[in-house]
Amino acid sequence: MRQTALQTVFELAKQDSRVVFVGSDLGAGTLKEMREELPNQFFMEGISEQYLVGFVAGLAKEGFIPFVNTIANFFTRRAFEQIAMDIALHNLPVRLLASGGGMVYAPLGPTHTAVDDFALMTSIPKLRVFSPGDANEMRELLFHSLKSSHPWYIRFGKGGEPIFSPSHQPEPNKPKLFGDPRAEILFLTTGILIHEVLEAVEKLRGTLSLPVSALHFPELTNLEFESWKESYQTARKVIVAEEHIPQGGLFTKVLHSVHAQNLDTKKLVQTSLPFAYLHNYGSQKDHLIAHGLDAIGLAKLARTD
Amino acid sequence: MDSLNRHSKALVVALSPDSVRLRRRLLEITKLAGRGHIGPALSIIEIVDVLYRHVMVNPGDIQSKEWSKRDRFLLSKGHGCLGLYVVLEDLGLLDGMDLSNFCSYESNFGGHPESSTVPAIEFSTGSLGHGMPVAVGLAVAAKLKKESWRVFVVVGDGELNEGSNWEAAAHACKHKLDNLVVIIDYNNMQASGKVSDVLDMNPLKDKWEAFGFETIEVNGHDREELKRALNTRNSTSSPLCIIAYTVKGKGIKKAENSSVWHHKAKISAEEIDALTLDLTT
Repeated sequence: MRQTALQTVFELAKQDSRVVFVGSDLGAGTLKEMREELPNQFFMEGISEQYLVGFVAGLAKEGFIPFVNTIANFFTRRAFEQIAMDIALHNLPVRLLASGGGMVYAPLGPTHTAVDDFALMTSIPKLRVFSPGDANEMRELLFHSLKSSHPWYIRFGKGGEPIFSPSHQPEPNKPKLFGDPRAEILFLTTGILIHEVLEAVEKLRGTLSLPVSALHFPELTNLEFESWKESYQTARKVIVAEEHIPQGGLFTKVLHSVHAQNLDTKKLVQTSLPFAYLHNYGSQKDHLIAHGLDAIGLAKLARTD
Repeated sequence: MDSLNRHSKALVVALSPDSVRLRRRLLEITKLAGRGHIGPALSIIEIVDVLYRHVMVNPGDIQSKEWSKRDRFLLSKGHGCLGLYVVLEDLGLLDGMDLSNFCSYESNFGGHPESSTVPAIEFSTGSLGHGMPVAVGLAVAAKLKKESWRVFVVVGDGELNEGSNWEAAAHACKHKLDNLVVIIDYNNMQASGKVSDVLDMNPLKDKWEAFGFETIEVNGHDREELKRALNTRNSTSSPLCIIAYTVKGKGIKKAENSSVWHHKAKISAEEIDALTLDLTT
């Protein structure tokens, strides 16, 4: 997903001279071709995220569209104030490309796992927050971003995820429904967790013939509740699954939407990472399994009354 | 000359009629609001006034056709905004907005400058250490667009405690930004006491030069010295740093070098009247 994103930035930069790429001490080979072909649109800055975000705010203020890449936490925690004050307060069209969303960096420990980024980023007015589920969606979102005057935060998955979305998407930010809109059990999810959810849906449909559907939200800042309100009302059970702490992410956004419409919130079931610093290492998948966020865990949750 | 001697010189500079008028207006506004960062605003008045009146190209006039070619000004020490507001008002750049209601609920003018409410303000600031990184971005943008405007950013001496300034300083030299001018308002005071006691940043000139800046020291209340320094065009590709030795509360004896007048709320009219009487002419 990261490779697709960076190549897409290169593609966009070739078409539009306002597009610049800015990295913070990324690997030596990062966008080597772009660095050579478009040296004026490529910046590799030092390990200094506070500066980095202020710097791109200055570029954006002068009409450039900076696509900035570093590890998610170093944006969201280290440079939170710069994102809020330099970028969002001024509503500047900066695109923060956040590597290692969720538990991608599980082997590196809690300094590197981005499990609170939705909570932090969705607390900032004007900032749009995205969590694409595959490379197609990522690419389409980046193209789509040129039409938006707002700042964006985009959480990256690990890469190599199976493709589940079409190669051409006129509105890639809109929720995607998989299955019957009037299903009895409805999964709501975002980011790469959609793959575990879809696998769980397959299992449930196959073995138990349960009427189950899934909704994937590429954008968290606007859930477009009206477009799936009927599915919510029809479902007996709505499971919100996210690779994030329980607070401030997708579940919180869903709860706000449902509550605002005065609908039944009792049918909501939450499954997420715990509100804790996780001191186990291993792989992203290990953590999904440990916290019931893999396909088996999710299917089990759907069957439990 | 060491920084102590330079501060002594800044203390004795006599104020010009322009400088007195701007300070009188600043006190009027503060009297109406009953609050404000008086000391930090008084130390930058000559810097800002000289910049806007004698140095910057087309500053603040958003109606001008040449607006996009203007020199950019950022007040990184946003709490000194009263010093900026009175200069903008004096030059007629506030588009009829009423500065007298400073800090009231309906006012365009808050205790830190905001570009969304005052179009002549280039960039909203307040939290310290934000101006320089943004200024570097602006200066790089000018280079990319092959435009000749310059970027001026005023940073407080206490503000230099923030590491982001030094991150930006290193990058400014990496990008060879000869269109960037950093002005340090060196009044040697921060909220809790003397800068030299809280966190001594000296030898400051050596630090900036070690980063790669061309560095000039000036008396920050001497208009002629400021004009010369701010109009300096680098012969090299280095960015420029001007260390302006100033006095916090300059021009009002009671407020000079006083932490009490760094920021004050619930200021009585009588207190302001006493300061106004104390205004050095």
